[in-house]
Amino acid sequence: MQPALRVHTTNDVLELPAESADRARERERDLVLSAQEGDHSAFAALVRLHERRAYAVARSIAATHEDAEDAVQEGFLHAYRALDRFRPEQAFGAWLHRIVANAALDIGRRRKVRDADSLPENVALPMRDPASDDELRRRLVSGLGELSQRQRSVIVLHDVEGFTHGEIGSMLGIPEGTARSDLHHARAALRRLLADLWSER
Amino acid sequence: MTFDSRIGPTGREDDLTNALRALYAPPSDEGYWSDLAQRIMARISNEDEIDTWWQPFARLARVGVLAAGVALTIASIALTREQASASIPSLAYETVADTPRTSLLQIAIEPDVNAEREATLRYVMAP
Repeated sequence: MQPALRVHTTNDVLELPAESADRARERERDLVLSAQEGDHSAFAALVRLHERRAYAVARSIAATHEDAEDAVQEGFLHAYRALDRFRPEQAFGAWLHRIVANAALDIGRRRKVRDADSLPENVALPMRDPASDDELRRRLVSGLGELSQRQRSVIVLHDVEGFTHGEIGSMLGIPEGTARSDLHHARAALRRLLADLWSER
Repeated sequence: MTFDSRIGPTGREDDLTNALRALYAPPSDEGYWSDLAQRIMARISNEDEIDTWWQPFARLARVGVLAAGVALTIASIALTREQASASIPSLAYETVADTPRTSLLQIAIEPDVNAEREATLRYVMAP
């Protein structure tokens, strides 16, 4: 029996019991097979099932919410085109996340070239009400700006989304050890940059 | 898939993780996700329509490319043959033109200077 499955709702993560997880995987496999036979509604169901997680992956890499959204759309489109090459015994989510991560990296590279002169640093700016800005948020954004893009992605994918080092490595095309080391350095750097702020509290 | 229970959405909460989660929180409006899914499916349907529209042309284009390839092959074969046949007379001419003249041929085509001299001498000495 495979391990329990994580299901992402709007703002939370539920861990399904193993039996439910098996049923969920079975259902996902059926959807994939139907989608491979050209059933649009099956692919739409896969989109609904995976769009939040795909967004989280894209958001950890992309500079803005809009770029993340574009990457999600591009990712699903690529996945649809490549669906006949997908083997149903694979995990659809892991396969999709790699595609979405690549789409986000591509968008990031294109943006970097386009904005090379206009933007000094594309720090991930969240889709948030500007009125809710506070010192921690400002300092965190600034701290994230001092990390490399890969370190930012690794810390968000791990600490926020709960992906394992292996999953992150697979998504970003880096060895698991590199993901582990990036995470360590990113966390240490952020803690150092925010230490005085927390000591004041 | 394993889950690292120390950190992350269901793991130990700390200030840094909380701050990061707040910063990277996905849109919470359910309508946003329905809308995004619809947009994705609209793009996919659009792509399928383009494929459907283009498919007969793509088939024709494939046939056209194939026909052009065959025509090109036939034309190049014909051209090669034509060049080959045109080169036979010119080669024959060049062979003849470039052949060094033999002494007999030289005698035949060049005026015999000695014979002329002898004839002149005979004429002068003749009574």
